[in-house]
Amino acid sequence: MKLRIVYRGQVKELPFEGERVRVVDVLKAMGLSREYAFVVRGEELLEEDEFVRDGEELRVVNAISGGKDYL
Amino acid sequence: MRKCYKCGLKGVVYLPQHRIAFCKEHYLEWYSKRVEESIKEFRMFTREDRVLVAVSGGKDSLSLWDVLHRLGYRVDGFYIDLGIGEYSERSKIACERFARKRGLELHVLSLSEAIATIPEIKRLEKRPACSFCGQIKRYYMNRFAKEKGYNILATGHNLDDESATLFSNILAWNMDYLARQFPVLPEGRGFVRRVKPLFKFSEKENALYAFLGGIEYVEEECPFAEGASSIEYKRLLSQLEEESPGTKLRFYMDFLRRLHPLLEAQEVELSPCSVCGEPTTREVCSLCRLRERLSSKTLSSSPSS
Repeated sequence: MKLRIVYRGQVKELPFEGERVRVVDVLKAMGLSREYAFVVRGEELLEEDEFVRDGEELRVVNAISGGKDYL
Repeated sequence: MRKCYKCGLKGVVYLPQHRIAFCKEHYLEWYSKRVEESIKEFRMFTREDRVLVAVSGGKDSLSLWDVLHRLGYRVDGFYIDLGIGEYSERSKIACERFARKRGLELHVLSLSEAIATIPEIKRLEKRPACSFCGQIKRYYMNRFAKEKGYNILATGHNLDDESATLFSNILAWNMDYLARQFPVLPEGRGFVRRVKPLFKFSEKENALYAFLGGIEYVEEECPFAEGASSIEYKRLLSQLEEESPGTKLRFYMDFLRRLHPLLEAQEVELSPCSVCGEPTTREVCSLCRLRERLSSKTLSSSPSS
C-alpha cells in the first residue's frame, strides 16, 4: 500500500509492503521517533497503534528543531 | 485506548514521562498550569511586568506567546527578519497572522535595515551561522526591549534545547557556561531580565500544544541550521528518553537543583560600547565591530569611480 505524506511543507509518497500498517510503522519508515514526532489525519491526532488506510493523506510532524542559540 | 486523567474521555495525548493521558481540553489546561507554575517557581515575572516575547514563527515561541496571553500577562511579540529568503518571509507572515488573529502587538525589526541579512554576513564570517545569528539576535532583543520599555524578555527555549545545551556544556566541561545556564537570567548591567518559561516542556509537548490550540506555525527548519550539533545531541537524548521516559527532565532539573547552586559564574567587567552604548567586555561591542567590517568590505568591493 501507499500513503501520501505531508512533511515539513512537502508531499511525498511512502510505499509499504502489506496492508496492515500502523502509525508507529509510518514513523519508523521515515526514520523518526515517537519521542519527538507524531501523525495527524486532517484535524485528528492519531494514536501510535492505530491502523492507517491505503492511499490516505497524513501529516507527519517532527518537533525537533535546531540552531536556536539566542540566549 | 487510554483515558483522559481528568475527565475519563478518550485521551488524545499520552505523556510517557508523566505516565498520564489527556483529552484535548485537559491537555491545554495542563500545559497552561505548568507554564504558570514554572513562572512562579522561578519568579520570572508578574502581571505587572511588560513582557516582550521573541518570536520566530515556530511552534515554541508562538505557543509561548499564546499561553502567556491566555494567562493574562502583558505581552507583545518581537520578530527579527533575518533576511533568509522564503524561510524568513514565511516566518514573518506566520507571526503577523498570529498577532492579527488575536489583536496583539507585533514589533518587526529587519536585519537588512539594521545591519545586513544573515546570508550577507555569512559571506564575511567563518563561524557557523547559528553562532553569529544567535549573538546578533541577543543584541537586538535586549536593545529593542530597553528602548521600548519592556523589562522582561521571554524566549521559547524548551527542555530539548536546555538538555542538549547542558549535554554540550558538560562534554566540554564548560564551567562558566554551566554557571550561566538557568531559566532566569537577572536584569542589570545593561541587560533586561531574560526568561525561559517553557524550559520544562519537550519540543513535542510544545508542538502538540500548537496543534491542539490551532496555532499555525512554520514547520520547516532554517536552512542554516542543517547539521547543527544541537540537533545531533537532541537525537541522542531522545534515544535515551525513549528507553527511559523522564530522562531529559531529570537530567536538567537535577542539574538545576543539585549542581547549579555549587557553581559560580566568573564576574566579567562590562562597560557601555563606545559606539552604541550596549554592554560589552571591550571598548567596542562585537556587533559594532561586525558592522565596521561589513562597511569596509562593501567599500573595498565597490568599483572605483
